[in-house]
Amino acid sequence: MAQNLHTVDAVAINRFKDYSNTGFFDEMFGTGFVAQDHYQQINSRLSQIGDSELETKQQQVASSFLEHGVTFTVYGETEGTERIFPFDLIPRIIPSDEWHEIEQGLVQRIIALNLFLNDIYKDSKIIKDGVIPREVVESSPHYRAEMVGFNVPKDIYIHICGSDLIRDEKGRYLVLEDNARCPSGVSYLLENREIMKKAFPRTYREMSVCPVEAYPDLLLKTLEYLSPRNSGKPVCVLLTPGVYNSAYFEHTYLARQMGIEIVEGKDLITIEDFLFMRTTHGLVQVDVIYRRLDDNFLDPSFFKNDSLLGVSGLMNCYLKGNVSLANGIGTGVADDKVTYAYVPEMIRYYLAQEPILEQVPTYLCWREDDRKFVLENLQDLVIKPANESGGYGMLIGSSSSRKEREEFSDRIKKSPRDYIAQPIVSLSRHPTFCDGSIEGRHVDLRPFVLYGDDIEIVPGGLTRVALQKDSLVVNSSQGGGSKDTWVLKG
Amino acid sequence: MRLYVLHKTHYSYPSPVRNSCNELRLSPLSNDWQKCITCFVSVFPTTKTRQYLDLNGNLVHYFEIPEDHSHLTIESRSTTTTSKRVDFGNFPYGVPMRSLKEVESSPEARPYLQSSHFVDITPEIWRQAVEIQGDSKDVFQTAYQIMEFVYLNYEYCVSTTSVDTHVSEVLKKRKGVCQDFAHAVIALCRCLGIPARYVSGYFYDSSRDQIMRGGGASHAWVEVLVNGHGWFGLDPTNNRVVDETYVLIGSGRDYRDVAPVTGNYFGKLPDKMEVSVNVRRID
Repeated sequence: MAQNLHTVDAVAINRFKDYSNTGFFDEMFGTGFVAQDHYQQINSRLSQIGDSELETKQQQVASSFLEHGVTFTVYGETEGTERIFPFDLIPRIIPSDEWHEIEQGLVQRIIALNLFLNDIYKDSKIIKDGVIPREVVESSPHYRAEMVGFNVPKDIYIHICGSDLIRDEKGRYLVLEDNARCPSGVSYLLENREIMKKAFPRTYREMSVCPVEAYPDLLLKTLEYLSPRNSGKPVCVLLTPGVYNSAYFEHTYLARQMGIEIVEGKDLITIEDFLFMRTTHGLVQVDVIYRRLDDNFLDPSFFKNDSLLGVSGLMNCYLKGNVSLANGIGTGVADDKVTYAYVPEMIRYYLAQEPILEQVPTYLCWREDDRKFVLENLQDLVIKPANESGGYGMLIGSSSSRKEREEFSDRIKKSPRDYIAQPIVSLSRHPTFCDGSIEGRHVDLRPFVLYGDDIEIVPGGLTRVALQKDSLVVNSSQGGGSKDTWVLKG
Repeated sequence: MRLYVLHKTHYSYPSPVRNSCNELRLSPLSNDWQKCITCFVSVFPTTKTRQYLDLNGNLVHYFEIPEDHSHLTIESRSTTTTSKRVDFGNFPYGVPMRSLKEVESSPEARPYLQSSHFVDITPEIWRQAVEIQGDSKDVFQTAYQIMEFVYLNYEYCVSTTSVDTHVSEVLKKRKGVCQDFAHAVIALCRCLGIPARYVSGYFYDSSRDQIMRGGGASHAWVEVLVNGHGWFGLDPTNNRVVDETYVLIGSGRDYRDVAPVTGNYFGKLPDKMEVSVNVRRID
């Protein structure tokens, strides 16, 4: 039982009287019973607000999200697909020292991943030196043999990376996965901040929180840096698959914030390996595409499919160096969960140093010994498909039925390369409003890393929270919500 | 002070080169007054890198690229915290010149009193040094006067010298960049028996209009040993005693010991070399 040591005066309400943090690392209380220093102010603020005021704030916040149209789409359900992203009022707070360490670790990681991609599509030295098996790389469904030998603009493949961090029962930060294709969520981070500044204006100001508002500017700078044309202001566009995509809100939001056009495939045309956008005043040449579309859908004539989402001839423009893409093509190898297991080795190989951030031990089912272990210990592991995102298609052993385990066991035996297993990490929890009281809910953190002329990370990231009791899955598509993340100034 | 440095070096060769072996000295040191938090050195074309300490205790990144390549890019990103290094109201005055005899043969001072690759000790330089010294009998005072003399009488100019310019030419022309200014001060100090070493690094230009010279590139300055007080940094390019706005990569007898990038390869000389250095304060 956590007890609030804040001096309780006549009007103060102890909101943590029945709060329990047993068995988990709690963001506010750590492993103890007293709110950590960096949570003191928020703690006392919470005890000053009355129940009705709190409820009003909660309602205001909810209606703000509705007004702003902050939604996402859920696949695989028949009911209305567009949903409001649930938001929790209690911010997650990260002290500046802690953030500096995370930041350094993320910078190190994106540098290594980017070197890895440059390497595997060029001389493959890391493979030749026996650090990573060739099969691992080339069997990844996102490996693009077409990219071999191609010089990506400025040697950068991953311009935008969203790495998911979790904390274990001791509070250690661990990298859970890297999203090196089209990571989403940054619009919620920005919207959450806007709303929190209105909901807790004084607390926000008093706690001197690092701002995040620069993100759209930094993103635009990153895109413009890639422009193949040296003169004039580069023309950047955001390419969206359209309104049915789960992150369509984010696409429109970012395009608006950056002041660039949002386009679909049908708005673009290629002429002699240059790319143009149709506008009301004629064709305009495009230099950089921020694409929120997977590799496969970018160019139907190149990737041989009947998708109408992309632009025929786009890949030729790209390979001739007439248009740049962010992220580059073939980055999915880097966020393959089998590749993930080798990231510490990459850091040692390219950078000659040890990883700053640890990661979750990973069993690769294509290795015979690992597979045997996994099949014998399914109930104690999380089984994840190597190349799915959004928390789809995974099995959490401890809360699975016998039938589910048997099903996964068959799938693993049939296609071992497609599955990895990890020990179940008891994610840290954070005080969260649940039906009028405050309870601990599991959280993760997705910071967004931008790699252009320099590497930039807006302080913090998107804190996702599993709203269902005891759930370990924080993905928005699986009923997760979010919180604002406050990194304190040093 | 927390300082972030992004240092990019890019070479383009007119035709592909091969068998490139390189040593990089781009990683700040940790010592009593600065701590290198992280330093990430990346190389394109990608390759395995290794780290080791050289004879002077500087951190070296080493790599080889045997394959044909027509570009080489080296990026170093470092974060360093620096703390107050000197007390500007209390410089180490009071150590007499005659006491220099005592340190002459100590292992700490000896290497920095001899001639080295770019720095000679000659009667001509000695005569100049004695003139600058005037009637100063104090070690720090003399070193300071030498720095000031070079700052005031040498012209800062980018294209008259190269990385291979010897100090004798610098003293004749009285022109050059930070490297040349540093070599001149080192030569003049050594002639008078003041141990002087060459330092490579960066500085953060906190002046309002960014008026300091030598920004946008890697910087160099001098450290002199004041017996009993340790090494003191003097920046003759900007006429300043080195403080916490400077980030030190390493030190040696002269430029040759701490050149940021050295190596060799088979092929033609680069037809283009671009260097950019960006120092940001992040606290």
